[in-house]
Amino acid sequence: MSIIEAKDVKKWFGDFQALKGISMEIQEGEVLVVCGPSGSGKSTFIRCINRLEQHQEGSIIVDGIELTNDIKNIEAIRSEVGMVFQSFNLFPHLTVLQNITLAPIWVRKKSKSDSEVKAMELLERVGIPEQAHKFPGQLSGGQQQRVAIARALAMEPKIMLFDEPTSALDPEMIKEVLDVMKELAKSGMTMIVVTHEMGFAKEVADRVMLFDDGLMVEENTPNEFFDNPKNDRTKLFLSQIL
Amino acid sequence: MVKLLSKIGAFFRNVVVLKWAVQFIFLGGLIALIFNYLNIAVGNLANTNIAFSWGFLGETPGVSIAEGLYTLPKSGLQMLQTGMLNMLRITVTGIVAATFFGTILGIARLSNNYIVEKTATSLLEVVRNVPLLVQILFFQALILSLPRLEVYDVGSVLFHASSKGVALSWPNRQDGAWMFMLYFLITIYISNRVYKQRVKLLEEEGRETKPFLWSFSALIILLAAGWFGGYRIVGIIGFVSGFISQGLELLPGLFYQALLSILAGYFSFRSVRKQIQSKRSGELQGKYSDDDYFKMIITIVIALIFIALMFAPVGQGIAKFLVGDEPTFKSDWGLPQFFGGISNALDWSITGTPYELNMAEIQQVGTTKFKRYSNEVGKSLTVGYFATWMGVVIYTAIFISEIVRAGIMAVSKGQSEAGLSLGLRRSALLRLIVLPQAVRIMLPPMGNQYLNLAKNTSLGIAVGFPEVVAVGQTLYNQEGQTLPVFLIWMIFFSTVSLTLSSIVNYYNRKLKIVER
Amino acid sequence: MMNIDLKKQTRVIKENLFSSPVSTLLTFLTSYIMISFFRGMFGFATAPDKDWLSVLNNMQLYMVQAYPESDFIRIWICVGLGFIFSGLSVGLWETGEKTSLSKLCLTFSKIIFGIIFLTLIAPTTSVIVSTATGIREQVDVFSYAERIPLLSILLGLLVVFFLLSKINLNFNKSFLVSIYLFVPIVFLWLMKIPTIKLDAENQRVFPDPLMPIANSTKIPWTLIWMSFVAAYLIGIYFKNKKQFKTAVSISWVLLPLLIFSWIFKKPLIDLNELIRNDIPVFIGFLLVGVLTIYFINNKIVEKFYGYYLGLLVIVTLASLFLKVILLVKAGLLLLLLFSVIIPAVSTSAKGKRSLTIVWIVSLTTTAFLLEGGTSTTQIVVPGSSIFGGFSLTWLLAIFGTYVSFPLGVLLALGRNSSLPIIKGVCTGIIELVRSVPYITWLFFASVTMAVFLPDGVEFNLIVRVLIVTAFFSGAYFAENIRGGLQSIPKGQFEAADAIGMNTVQKTSLIVLPQALRAIVPTLVSSIITGFKDSSLVTIIGLFDFLTIGRMVIGNQSIPINFIGHDRENLLFIALVYWIFTFTLSRRSMKFEKRLGLGER
Repeated sequence: MSIIEAKDVKKWFGDFQALKGISMEIQEGEVLVVCGPSGSGKSTFIRCINRLEQHQEGSIIVDGIELTNDIKNIEAIRSEVGMVFQSFNLFPHLTVLQNITLAPIWVRKKSKSDSEVKAMELLERVGIPEQAHKFPGQLSGGQQQRVAIARALAMEPKIMLFDEPTSALDPEMIKEVLDVMKELAKSGMTMIVVTHEMGFAKEVADRVMLFDDGLMVEENTPNEFFDNPKNDRTKLFLSQIL
Repeated sequence: MVKLLSKIGAFFRNVVVLKWAVQFIFLGGLIALIFNYLNIAVGNLANTNIAFSWGFLGETPGVSIAEGLYTLPKSGLQMLQTGMLNMLRITVTGIVAATFFGTILGIARLSNNYIVEKTATSLLEVVRNVPLLVQILFFQALILSLPRLEVYDVGSVLFHASSKGVALSWPNRQDGAWMFMLYFLITIYISNRVYKQRVKLLEEEGRETKPFLWSFSALIILLAAGWFGGYRIVGIIGFVSGFISQGLELLPGLFYQALLSILAGYFSFRSVRKQIQSKRSGELQGKYSDDDYFKMIITIVIALIFIALMFAPVGQGIAKFLVGDEPTFKSDWGLPQFFGGISNALDWSITGTPYELNMAEIQQVGTTKFKRYSNEVGKSLTVGYFATWMGVVIYTAIFISEIVRAGIMAVSKGQSEAGLSLGLRRSALLRLIVLPQAVRIMLPPMGNQYLNLAKNTSLGIAVGFPEVVAVGQTLYNQEGQTLPVFLIWMIFFSTVSLTLSSIVNYYNRKLKIVER
Repeated sequence: MMNIDLKKQTRVIKENLFSSPVSTLLTFLTSYIMISFFRGMFGFATAPDKDWLSVLNNMQLYMVQAYPESDFIRIWICVGLGFIFSGLSVGLWETGEKTSLSKLCLTFSKIIFGIIFLTLIAPTTSVIVSTATGIREQVDVFSYAERIPLLSILLGLLVVFFLLSKINLNFNKSFLVSIYLFVPIVFLWLMKIPTIKLDAENQRVFPDPLMPIANSTKIPWTLIWMSFVAAYLIGIYFKNKKQFKTAVSISWVLLPLLIFSWIFKKPLIDLNELIRNDIPVFIGFLLVGVLTIYFINNKIVEKFYGYYLGLLVIVTLASLFLKVILLVKAGLLLLLLFSVIIPAVSTSAKGKRSLTIVWIVSLTTTAFLLEGGTSTTQIVVPGSSIFGGFSLTWLLAIFGTYVSFPLGVLLALGRNSSLPIIKGVCTGIIELVRSVPYITWLFFASVTMAVFLPDGVEFNLIVRVLIVTAFFSGAYFAENIRGGLQSIPKGQFEAADAIGMNTVQKTSLIVLPQALRAIVPTLVSSIITGFKDSSLVTIIGLFDFLTIGRMVIGNQSIPINFIGHDRENLLFIALVYWIFTFTLSRRSMKFEKRLGLGER
């Protein structure tokens, strides 16, 4: 059974149509990489999956729950889907530890001590336990993004969404974030990653998709996608980016 | 049954339903609250036998006003008009003066000269940290401590100050002054056009066209021609307004009610159409969200309420006011009177120089032992006017100086270096690089200060200056109608604020376009 | 060595004052204006037709209006509490910055140089112009012979400071405050001031005899100074205790409430009422709160939490409109607030214990303050309230801020909300309130508001003014806070959404903490504005600081004639306002800098 099922998803911003009918399925434990030129609707699509944007036509079913206007469904889906943003979006007025424990305490209603133990484990996992009591402003970009990943993991999500997690980082910091993501993928997490890191896609992805102008142009295994693209648009995109 | 219950539950968990439910509950609560208090107010007013009424606007208040348009007002409306004009007088002159002094002070604070800079800064620290009211009272006390006017001889003086106020020599308006003023505005427009034309020529043909010299000489020549009688040309406008005035007199009040209703209907129709069209471009059609529907509905509802009001007593009152219904308001501020006034002021047959420079004059009041400053020649400022004006202008100038300083500082760092490296001279640098940018930074906070100045003029009440709040207070002390007076204050100040901020916004937008 | 220094000084002077002909001209012009302004002011202040005793003799009136002298101990306690907490704060938050005696002496020497310069340029005569006849009269005020003793004292002080500056002594900068306070205390003991004395026929004796300052002033001030120093030392001792700092911060918020409700007011407590109503209600709330804390996370009870919260909301809302004692309303509100956060915090034994302590303390404080606030005062004063003079000015400034701040937060949140109706209503309220000057709102309070109040409900004029002030400065606050809200990037909201927070949690945990931090400086500046604007209440006839000087003292005719001495009083009022606003704004600038340092 597929964990995410999208059917003919359409979305307008005013009179601009960002998604023109996207249909896809993702199995549990699968790692999906979405790429495409800017403005192709790839970010909009994954933001629709946890209702940061509202799709207007079509249906999205996450783990058997349909994403409708029902507030109960939205809450349920949001607590099962973790998200990592391009610009980290850590809360600057809270320490790293507080950033991570905030959601478990207030949304999952767990005790503070339990959440802190769990948070330290997660920090260990992303490799920066020594930064727990610093403020986000005191960390480097790569460290901040790793904290953001830990914050999303603290909710014990079934699915992780990554919205261009490495685009705002200096080249030398990209690797430390990608390593964490690779480790996460190997542990069996379902992931949708919007990225331009083709190396990551080749190494980790189960499937690669190309979005263009609000449509999904190509969907393939990484090997096929990179070595034997079917669509002209894909060829053009790959020639520009590689 | 269970299915139905869960369906109802799901309905109330729908975020759209929740969103609007919360808002309508809020709105309902608010309306209930307002209704509740209005009910109490109606009850209380009935108990005290002062029913809410606008009748006082037409009744003779039987009090005199110290200075202004109507010193012996025949109706409440005339009294309020006097207060409003007094307030506007102080606001407009105050804005000009405060901007002038504020700019000088701001530049002084940036001066390299130690003493100048420190003096300006200490003035700032003193004025900013003392309540404006105390300053106004202090200026009043200062004037009141001068000798009484009665100890001086009757006659002309260049400048005079006594406990009655201040008198200055002044270019007094003659019959043709209004015409000349209009003529002056037209000349400025023309010379501005000339300047732009020459600049265009310079850019197109690449030769020196001396735009500034051209426009300046055009201004001087036109002004000179105007001063010696040429201003009478604007009499054409007066001639036309005479016709308009006669035409307007034929129109009944119902016409204005209908006109305003149609305008409201038209604008709401246009706005709804625009909203509908904004979601349609080419063959792609956007979807309307619930917010879009709400906006359309609310536009229509507001228009309907407005139209309903236009045919309620409110609309009738407005129509009566516009018609210039003499028996109701004893006021001559209706539209026909307005155009009639224009046609009187702008008359061909007026001759003579528009302004005449006069010395101030101390006069005997009739045969009594009292003396006064002449109102006809020179300029006399009462104690209240002087104290309020000084207080408000200095207080605002201080805040403007901060804005000017910050504005210039914000630009001059890298920008002037860039300009100098291009080989611009200092004057050109200031004119072309620094000022345009500084003004753009300064304009929005300046607008705020102008609004503050307009509101601060209401402190004139403490020193007996009859501006709109003081006059309103006198009026409700006479008639007991506190609520209508309060509403009038609110409408008047909102109008002034809106006008001021839209002027500032206009220039703000204009500067932004220039920037591109 | 000396030579080079001199050259450098000349160059600096030349660059700063005489760099160009225009600059030179400006220098002379400004100096001339400044010197003549000073000479004019000096002449004004020293002219024999001024009676500065009209200010000095009315100090009591200025500060507390007609507060009965028998209860002055209450006022001293208020002032003392203010100083004690200031001392604690200075000690607790001292930065450890050092300063040396020689630096201090240099500052004092500069001041003395200034005074010497002013003494030298002060005019010898003053001109009095008679209002009635216009005749100008020159009077000697400060002859050169009189200046010699003063100048010699000043020069002597200069020498003393020069010698002192040779001593190498370092001390904490915050310690300076105690020294600055010490100087006026010493003067209190040594100085004699002219006092008005009446002879047998109730006529004023001229010249006014010099008398030492009364013990009823000297001793309280000395005690206050001593407790200030003691509090400072205690503060330094507990410098590293974080809880102590928190306690002092909260006390600063509660202190004005305590002062105005219990100390200044001398409340009349109805014991019967207290035992029959308030104490049972208090105990009831205490028990309910503690029970909630201990059982809310019980497996069986947990299911009913939603119903419990819903019931509480309904009961609280209903109580606001019902005729129940105020403690019930306040208690319900507090309980509701607690019940929202209890489940998240009371998960461990430690959490439960600390929550219980917080609950007991906050309930007790609320009950205690309410008891004082709602009771009638035993202090009988002619006029509308026991507050008058400077105490009224501060009451308006502080309570205006108190009430307007939360209101401003709500309005700003409403205006920033995505819900169109709520946004429209809040925008409407803000713009409507701001479009009209403050004085018209004061008139609304004094004459119009009574129309809207139901039968039998009557508010004191001061309360009505406070309500109006709350709305007025609330609207201005809202605009400031909105600026803070808009400075929060959109990503913050999205991140909060993505981890599944609801609107209330988002607002209280993410949005407000960030927005409020950005507007702390504006908080101080609007207290200053409130302080300055409070002077407008003189127009609607409240007896604030300004009214006393402008209306009351100018009308004191028997037995002492102060009629027409309003200029001295206005000048004094302006000076007092200036000192307070100036120091406050300077303090806030320093505070801002420190905030900027601590923030990362």
